[in-house]
Amino acid sequence: MSTPTAARTRSLSVAYRSTPVLRNVDLDVPEGVVLGIVGPNGAGKSTLLKAMLGLVRPLTGTSEFFGRPLSQVRQRVAYMPQSASVDWDFPATVSGVVGMGTYGRLGWLRRPGRTEHEATLRALEHVGIADLAERQIGELSGGQRQRTFLARALAQHPDLLLMDEPFQGVDARSQQAIVAVLHAMRSQGRTVVLVHHDLATVRDYCDHVALLNERLVAAGPVGEAFTRENVRTTYDVTDTDALADLLT
Amino acid sequence: MSPLEFFADHTYRIVFAGTVVIGLVAGALGSFAYLRKQSLISDVISHAALPGTLIAFLTAVVVLGTDGRSMLGLILGAVVVGTLAVLAANGLTQATKIRIDTAMAISLTVFFGAGMLLLRVISNGDYPGKGGIADYLFGNASVITVADLVTSAVVGGLALLVMGVFWKEFALRTFDPAHTSALGFRASAVDALMFITIVIATVIGVKAVGLVLMVAFVITPPAAARQWTSTLRSMVALSAAIGAVGSGTGAYLSIVLGVPTGPAIVLTLFGIFAVSIAASPRRSVIMRGLARARARAALRRELLAETGATSGGSVASAGAGGSVPGTRSDGVGQS
Repeated sequence: MSTPTAARTRSLSVAYRSTPVLRNVDLDVPEGVVLGIVGPNGAGKSTLLKAMLGLVRPLTGTSEFFGRPLSQVRQRVAYMPQSASVDWDFPATVSGVVGMGTYGRLGWLRRPGRTEHEATLRALEHVGIADLAERQIGELSGGQRQRTFLARALAQHPDLLLMDEPFQGVDARSQQAIVAVLHAMRSQGRTVVLVHHDLATVRDYCDHVALLNERLVAAGPVGEAFTRENVRTTYDVTDTDALADLLT
Repeated sequence: MSPLEFFADHTYRIVFAGTVVIGLVAGALGSFAYLRKQSLISDVISHAALPGTLIAFLTAVVVLGTDGRSMLGLILGAVVVGTLAVLAANGLTQATKIRIDTAMAISLTVFFGAGMLLLRVISNGDYPGKGGIADYLFGNASVITVADLVTSAVVGGLALLVMGVFWKEFALRTFDPAHTSALGFRASAVDALMFITIVIATVIGVKAVGLVLMVAFVITPPAAARQWTSTLRSMVALSAAIGAVGSGTGAYLSIVLGVPTGPAIVLTLFGIFAVSIAASPRRSVIMRGLARARARAALRRELLAETGATSGGSVASAGAGGSVPGTRSDGVGQS
C-alpha cells in the first residue's frame, strides 16, 4: 500500500454478551487526515474506537497503529472518551486533569516534572482555556469540559487522536475551537478519528469518512464515500425527505 | 478529667494513639472508596472480617499454639476473608443480572452469619484467650496493647506508603478508568493495589472500634473533607486530619464521659460532617441556597428592567418591585 496508515482494522467484530455490535470491520485510516465515523445510534461507532484501543475485547479480528500493535506505539495514540463517561464532581482543577495526559509517557512510578508541566500549559493554551487552568472541573460548561478533555489528549502529544463524540453538548464557540485544533493537527501531518453524529458538518470538518452500521458500509475521501446512496444505506432510510433532513 | 490527667494514664494514652492511627489511615484511604462510589465496600470488608479474624484466632490457638488475639494474625485473617467477600460480590454482579448493592448485601450477611456461627463454636469450646473475641463486634479500645498499636501503625503506614508511591496511578484510575487503560496502565493492577489499601484501612480498626461501626471511619471523613477541598491532594490530607482529630476527640470524650469509644468517635465524626455540609463555602446546602437566591434576584431585576425599558409606563412600579428582594439578598450576602 502506498500511503502509510495511522490505524488499520481487519475483520474486527465485537459482541456484548451474545449481541453483535460490530461485524468484520476492515478500516484503513490514512495518515494526516481527519476521518469522521458516522452512523445511526447503536451502530457501534464508540465501540469501534474502544475495540481498536483494546478497551473492549474483540470477538474476532485485529487492530494496528502505524503498522504495529498498539502496545508498541501506545504513546503515539491518544483517546478522548465522551465527557459523560466521568463524574465531573471530582476534586480536581482543569490543569490537574489536563496533566493526566502526560502520565502515560511517564509510566509507573515516575512523577510529573517540568517537562510535563510545560506540556500541560501548552495544551491548555492550544485549546484556548489557559485562563481556566485553576478552575474546579465541576464548574465547567459542556464546551469547556470537552476542551479540557481535548487538552488532556494533546498533552500526550499524539500522532493519532481518537475522539468519541467531541461535539456532544458543546456551544458554537467551543465547537469552533475544537475544529481549529483538529485542522491544526492535520496540517502537521497528524491524524484524527472522530465519532460524529451531525451529517450536515461532515464536509466541513472531515476529509475522510467511514459510514458504519454494525458493518462498514463505505469508507474513503468524503467526495467519494459520502454519497446520498451510502448515507441512505447506512441509516436505512427510504424516503427522500428523511434523507434530506439527515443531511442538513 | 483534664487533658493533663488523661494523658498521664498509660491505658488512655494507648487508646488515644490507637484510635488516632485508625482514624488517620482510614480517613486518607477512605477518600478513594468515596470517590469511586464504593462507600459500602468497607462495610462488606469489615463484616466479612469477622469470620476471617476468628479463623485466624483458631489457627493461632489450635495449629500454632500462640496467642490468638495478636493484631497481625487478626489483620491477615480479616484481609484474606474480607477480600474474598468483595470478590464474591463482584463475581455475583458480573455473572448474573444482580446489581452490586444487592450482591454486597448478600455477601456481607452470608460472611457475617458464618462469623456469628463460628463465634458461638469458639465460645462453647475450650480455647485460651477466647474471652476477648466477642469484642470484635463492637470493639473495645481499652484492650489495645502497645504491640497492637505498633502493628496497626506499621501496617497502616505501609498502606499510606503504597498510596504515596502510586499516587499518580490512583488519581488517574479514580477519575477516569477508561483513560487509565488507554494510557497503557494495567487497570486491574491499579485496582488491586488500591483495594488492598482500603482493606487494610478497614481491618486495622476492627479490634478497637468494632466491625459494625468501622465503615463510618472510612466514609465520614472523606465525605466531610470533600465539602471544603477542590483537589485530590487536599481532600486526602484533610480527610486524614479529620479522621485523626475526630478519633482522638471521640476517644477522649468516651473516657471522660464513660461511654464506649467506637460510638463516641462515630458521633464526633458525624458532628464534623454535619458542620461541613452546612457551612462549607462552596458546597454547603445553606451557601448554595443563598447563592441561588442572589442569582435569582439579580435575574429578576434584569428581567424587570427589560420590561421597564420597552413599556415606559410601568417603570416606577417595576423598579420598586425589583429593588426590594434585591436589597434583601445583598444584605444576606454580606453577612
